[in-house]
Amino acid sequence: MARAVLVQAVEAYRHDPTVSGWLAQQVARLDGPLRIAVAGKVKAGKSTLLNALVGEQIAPADAGECTKVVTWYRAGRQPRITLFPRQGAPVGLAVDRRDGALVIDLGGTPVDDVDHLEVDWPTPSLRVASLIDTPGIASMSTEVGKRALRFLDPEDERPTEADAVVYLMRHLHAADAEFLEAFRDQGVSQSAGVNAVAVISRADEIGGGRVDAMVSARAVARRYRTEPVLRGLAQNVVAVAGLLAETARTLRHTEFAALAALAAVPREDLESALLTADRFLRPDADIAGLAADDRARLLRRFGVFGLRLGTVLIRQGYASPAALAAELLDRSGLHDLQQALDAQFVQRRDVLKARSALLAVLRVVADAPARDGGRLAAEVERIFADAHEFAELRLLGALRSRAVTLPGELAAEAQALLGERGAAAPARLGLPADAPAAALRDAALTALDRWQRRAENPMLPRGPADACRVVVRTCEGLLATLDRVPAYGR
Amino acid sequence: MELPAPVRAVDLALSTIAPYGRPDLEARLRQTRARLLDDRIRVLIVGEFKQGKSMLVNALVSAPVCPVYDDVATAVPTVVQFAEEPVLTVVRQHDGADGPVEQRTSRADVPLPELSEAVAAHVAESHNPDNRQKLHHVEVGVPRHLLQAGLEIVDTPGVGGLNSVHGAATMSALPTADAVLLVSDASQEYTAPELEFLSRAVRLCPNVACVLTKTDLYPEWRRIAELDRGHLRTAGVDAELIAVSSQVRWQAVTTGDLDLNAESGFAELEEYLVRRVLGQADLLSRRSTVHDVLAVTDQICDSLRAERAARSDPARAQEIVRELTGAQGRAAALKERSARWQHTLNDGVTDLNADIDHDLRDRMREVTRLAEEEIDGGGDPTRTWEQLTTWVQQQVASAASANFVWATERARWLARQVSTHFDDQREAVLPALRTEASAALGAVREMKVREGESFSFGQQALTGLRGGYIGVLMFGFIGTIVGLSLLNPFSIGAGLLLGGKTISDERRRVVTRRQAEAKTVVRRYVDDVTFQVGKDSRDMLRGVQRDLRDHFTDLAEQLTRSLKESLTATERSATASKEDRVRRIAEIDTELARLETLQARVGTLLPEATPNAPRPVVAAR
Repeated sequence: MARAVLVQAVEAYRHDPTVSGWLAQQVARLDGPLRIAVAGKVKAGKSTLLNALVGEQIAPADAGECTKVVTWYRAGRQPRITLFPRQGAPVGLAVDRRDGALVIDLGGTPVDDVDHLEVDWPTPSLRVASLIDTPGIASMSTEVGKRALRFLDPEDERPTEADAVVYLMRHLHAADAEFLEAFRDQGVSQSAGVNAVAVISRADEIGGGRVDAMVSARAVARRYRTEPVLRGLAQNVVAVAGLLAETARTLRHTEFAALAALAAVPREDLESALLTADRFLRPDADIAGLAADDRARLLRRFGVFGLRLGTVLIRQGYASPAALAAELLDRSGLHDLQQALDAQFVQRRDVLKARSALLAVLRVVADAPARDGGRLAAEVERIFADAHEFAELRLLGALRSRAVTLPGELAAEAQALLGERGAAAPARLGLPADAPAAALRDAALTALDRWQRRAENPMLPRGPADACRVVVRTCEGLLATLDRVPAYGR
Repeated sequence: MELPAPVRAVDLALSTIAPYGRPDLEARLRQTRARLLDDRIRVLIVGEFKQGKSMLVNALVSAPVCPVYDDVATAVPTVVQFAEEPVLTVVRQHDGADGPVEQRTSRADVPLPELSEAVAAHVAESHNPDNRQKLHHVEVGVPRHLLQAGLEIVDTPGVGGLNSVHGAATMSALPTADAVLLVSDASQEYTAPELEFLSRAVRLCPNVACVLTKTDLYPEWRRIAELDRGHLRTAGVDAELIAVSSQVRWQAVTTGDLDLNAESGFAELEEYLVRRVLGQADLLSRRSTVHDVLAVTDQICDSLRAERAARSDPARAQEIVRELTGAQGRAAALKERSARWQHTLNDGVTDLNADIDHDLRDRMREVTRLAEEEIDGGGDPTRTWEQLTTWVQQQVASAASANFVWATERARWLARQVSTHFDDQREAVLPALRTEASAALGAVREMKVREGESFSFGQQALTGLRGGYIGVLMFGFIGTIVGLSLLNPFSIGAGLLLGGKTISDERRRVVTRRQAEAKTVVRRYVDDVTFQVGKDSRDMLRGVQRDLRDHFTDLAEQLTRSLKESLTATERSATASKEDRVRRIAEIDTELARLETLQARVGTLLPEATPNAPRPVVAAR
């Protein structure tokens, strides 16, 4: 449906090559991968997390503010970096890897003249979704911060280039909430928090880098999930120790060996050496016979928390690089994030992409009214109002932001059914992913029955009653998909 | 405990002047003494939340005082001060018939290691969410050497961040503080709100320092420190930056490892507190003591000297009487309401009132204007209402705090203005009193400001959200929102389905009506705040005015009285016999010598090398 409207729009704007070209891009976007932007305040660990998600060190991360331009990471046949200047033709840049990490050299182009960078990289992780690294907002060098905002919340009211956003924060600050609001406030299908996931990044630091720091971080994430401010803005909150995840996914054998050597040092000596970063780096210290710059490299890769946890794990018997990497990854919380992304973005990618595309049409019609503009806009409105997927998104948003309220546990059940925890049937019905089809069918039937009765309750005010009807339709849809799979098929 | 040197000096002076029967001068010295004994040096620990403020306080006093959690922790300000035995005092404040009434509950049965848990029951967000216990603050007394000199460390709640209503409250507490430590961890350089806070803080508080915490966790902390120093330079903020690791310090305290302590960076922080903050406060109290004692004894000396001159040379007696009469007349004029300094003060306060009020209205009007633009451009206001109200509250809080900073600065400036004026007058009356007038004012300002009486903002400040003026109005604001009917997105959805012009027209009409309603609500809120803040700053100015007037009137009164005594003595001497005269001259010499010895001794309170040390007492005569 969205495609048909887009094609009509391209046709209607044939007289204006810029607009029709741009719309044609939107059509192409429908076939392309989902676009997920990684955003957050300065030093929230955006590039590090992006590397962790990709599983390779392709986004440069370091202690100062380093991402200064919007950078796209897409799946490609071979490594290629392209610079898109504000004016003029795209320029190819040299692909240079140092010490396993990609180094991007703008080749003398001033940062202000760069519109964005595109990095094509041969990796399966990027095939489902392209990732977009953005400069930190509320950044001291305000020009950099503006660049990120311009990208994610463009002033000329164009819809953003991203379909969904992963928002990184260290704690929930006012600026974080403002940002998420800015990303949410878009047009007709304004749907609170359906396209955003919040991440407590650098989660290991919440507990001061103690070995059990992630336990605290998860508790904080749980509390944020119920925080009213955040509920309306993001679908989920997960805690991730970004650096640990990145290192775990790119663990090298030499690093494992060094870590094993550290684990062999008597416990008290090691604890004392790891009390501060400075101590560990002291040039004259003798720690497991590691040279000072080796230690510095280790610390950069693992952080104090990673080193403490890594050595403890090796002592506990994670004695091979693979076993250690798996355990570190598990503890880093990256799996939680990947699951959240899969459930909330990837499984719903078609709806999210269609939503972006339709918003694009609406904007174009509003900006440059064409002959067919009115009809196009009506068409888009009709799709937004008709398509059940959008109704679901909208209701989900309304429930989260409390624009519509259902009593007590009903709200939670409705949100699950509407696909808050994932668009797949088991997730919606609150059953394990491997539940047999018959169980799913039963659950869907009872849910349908329950919600039909609720929808018919004459005591309900109009808003909640409408909400119940949407849920009923969702249940019907669920049953329809389940019936397509033979009950004995598994 | 031995009394501090300034107090002993005042006691000595009191016993020395006792025979002269001058209760007015004695009262002044007793006031000085009481102020010295009651003096607290308050250090505010501020910063965004989760930067390690509470841990810093614990590490600083090396005792588990403030609860430390991984999640947002502190909800109520905690004041840490000296006590012989650990003691925990919970302070509630409620409105009485005349002003706020404090209700204090103390318990001294908590052993030191369990202190932080006991404190947590009151200040932790998890135990006391949204300060349901309605506490004003919590005071904790611990037996620590560092605090013995009167140091008082205030751990402020980090809830909401620096540019929230809480932040505005913290800002208004600044003038009552002797030092502010801005705590920021080494994970990242300063953010815009932090720098803005700093540049406002340096205008209100004499000592502002930046503490970079958690250096143990971040290998790159040196670079961050450099970046921060750069930001401070660019922002024109003159503040020291001290890097510390509370974790290491804590380890050092528990193991008694001196090397570790050196590594933690706390030595520098303690040094800063002792040298700069305590040192400065101590110098100030010494200076005001010396000034008060000299001023009091000078007045007695002057009348003795006048009498002596008259007795040793009866021929000049008439001339001296004439001079004294003239001086007394001028001193008496100072007491009058028509005195020039009174005019300066009254005019100044009137002007200030007008200026501050105008500034406040101007800022608030801007907020209203922006909010209205936002409402007009934003379609249906019910959708964005929550964000809009938060935004308005933030802007209003920030405007109020900016206005407050400005008002405080102007009030201080006015005080100086009046004092210089007074100074000129006094020079005409009694040249010997010329020096240290500024220190006298300094003492007044310090005392009044620190007690926080004349700055009602300061008192309310720590109340933050609850009980503070902003808090009350904020609840009022929330209350008014309920009146605004909510728009149901489903009714719009239905409208779209049905299509047609009527419905969209109807919708437009509803939106316009709601926009108007929203604008009224915002305007009313801003008006309420303007009214309340305006009243507070008028009260503050009135307090300043009263303090200054009383201070200077007292001084004038003492002067008149001293001059009158001299006059009587001189007149009496004209009729005295020769033997009487010789005897009296000898007496006067002894007394003068006694007083001068006292002045010399009190003078030693001040370090020699201070550039603006008072004149050598004897030489000036």
